[in-house]
Amino acid sequence: MKLQRFTRQVQNVALTMGLTLSGFAIAQAPAAPPASAIPPTWAQGRTADQVALNLVPHPPGMTALPVSDIPTDKLKVPAGFKVELWASGMPNARSMVQSPSGTLFVGTRFPGNVYAVVEKDGKREVKTIAKGLHRPNGVVFKDGALYVAELSRIIRYDNIEANLDNPPAPVVVFDALPKDEAHGWKFMKLSPDGNYLYFQIGTPANITVQPVTHAVIVRLNLKTNILETVAHGVRNSVGMDFHPITKELWFTNNGRDWVNDELPNDTLHRITAKRMNFGYPFCHQGDLLDIDFGKGRSCDEFDKPVLKIGPHVAALGMRFYTGKQFPAEYKHNIFIAEHGSWNRTKKTGFDVVRVALDAKGNVTKKEVFVSGWIQGDDFWGRPADVHVMKDGSMLVSDDVAGAIFRISHSK
Amino acid sequence: MFKHASKAIHGMAFFFILLSSQMAWSAPDAIAGKAKAQVCAACHGEQGVSSMAGTPHLAAQPQLSIFYQLLQFRDQRRLGGGMEAIAATLSEQDMRDIAAHYASQPAPPPHTGGDASKIARGQQIAQQQYCSSCHGAQLQGQKHVPRLSGQSSEYFVTQLRNLRSGARADMDGTMASAARSLTDEEIEAMAVYARSLP
Repeated sequence: MKLQRFTRQVQNVALTMGLTLSGFAIAQAPAAPPASAIPPTWAQGRTADQVALNLVPHPPGMTALPVSDIPTDKLKVPAGFKVELWASGMPNARSMVQSPSGTLFVGTRFPGNVYAVVEKDGKREVKTIAKGLHRPNGVVFKDGALYVAELSRIIRYDNIEANLDNPPAPVVVFDALPKDEAHGWKFMKLSPDGNYLYFQIGTPANITVQPVTHAVIVRLNLKTNILETVAHGVRNSVGMDFHPITKELWFTNNGRDWVNDELPNDTLHRITAKRMNFGYPFCHQGDLLDIDFGKGRSCDEFDKPVLKIGPHVAALGMRFYTGKQFPAEYKHNIFIAEHGSWNRTKKTGFDVVRVALDAKGNVTKKEVFVSGWIQGDDFWGRPADVHVMKDGSMLVSDDVAGAIFRISHSK
Repeated sequence: MFKHASKAIHGMAFFFILLSSQMAWSAPDAIAGKAKAQVCAACHGEQGVSSMAGTPHLAAQPQLSIFYQLLQFRDQRRLGGGMEAIAATLSEQDMRDIAAHYASQPAPPPHTGGDASKIARGQQIAQQQYCSSCHGAQLQGQKHVPRLSGQSSEYFVTQLRNLRSGARADMDGTMASAARSLTDEEIEAMAVYARSLP
């Protein structure tokens, strides 16, 4: 906003000067192109050469594929695992949370819907419990209430499960949040002690020196309603989870665009201290100074990621595997939904990866766990979040197919 | 020989099965869309070139851009022109087909004549505002982003003003942000520029 206004002023000044000068500049070469406004967020930071690459973001998922059109058989999982279509008919289905009694709540970014998936008489039913919300991407369940993170406020639906067909008007929990659309949709997670809502406030551009309020992970104290910053220098995290033993917060982060096909990586992070700063916009992936803002800085100033996940993969939802159904080696692994790239000449991501850790939390392995959303250059779906069910199976939401898949293992 | 032939037939059959299973993917059907678009033609014209001032030309719009706007109307996230009521009667397949029909029509004829200095001014503003980043070098649109070239200037002006005021919500905030700082004069100039483009 401020930057835009400033640019606008500069532009106005330039224009006025241009008008004044143009009277004199009679026989000269054509004037230089006028000062520019701010490009759309996705194109910000793009060089003149990169324009020719014709890379633009993918259209958002706005519809749900009919069951007969969902090619579940294209999804590949390791031997011993099975993948099935679990629920469908949910345009833009993204973040997931489940109540203790089993209702699955699903947030969206574009249609403004929130869905509930319930099992009734052995049949699964999808209900749209909220419409017209503003980017209700984050969902948390606590004490019978559904908390929804919209773009700039947190709202709460009390006693939601008894009122799925006629939900009450939501209570506004907190609304003193920035209204930037860019990276403004939120992933939200309840702290293990149930006292805090953790979520991110992403950077308002691709690459910029953001205000101190942005590119952070914050937490809202549900008793005092006080907002605190948990970590700085996080470009945009759309997935986080607490380690089942250490209770430390781990999260994914989306790297900047328009460097090149291989850099920078999206990253996996772990919060081990207060006031950690992971480097945005000065340093990416722990070791890459920014081409625009890195001058005079050093990556040594900043905290390092645990893992470079891959360039442009769009690492979104992540969970620790806390179930018992998968083989023992999967215990406390991290699953990450890679939404898939747009800012890369060859597409990458469009899968769910598995990250194994040793007892100290060091990464020992990263491998693809579910693939098949993309054939050649064409994708039919995009994984957005993962969720571990009580029976130890895992759900994967897909915001292009508007569906949820279940991955299970049998011995 | 026989073996080869039967292999080839197998291969062909496989190909057709593959093709038809892809088709079952509710591929948009422009032929079916033409029939379904009769309800649209009264205002938007049979070939998607409207003769009613302020009603958008749909000819040569990207298929996805028409489809997505129909979805927005159906869900009442976009209002105007009575389109909410019409979209509510359409299935998603209808919407895809209608969109495919108009997408396959020849582009609306560019507006000729007009004030050359205003066109130049509009081009300059459009460049400053990075319109081509999403709408394409000739403002021809791409994927879900609408074509602006050859568009009705009345429609163009109304929409940009609505995006600026927030009366029309765009999908991801990009247009609200782009339109925020525009003056009426700048919007008018860009409209005149856009309608002059082939």
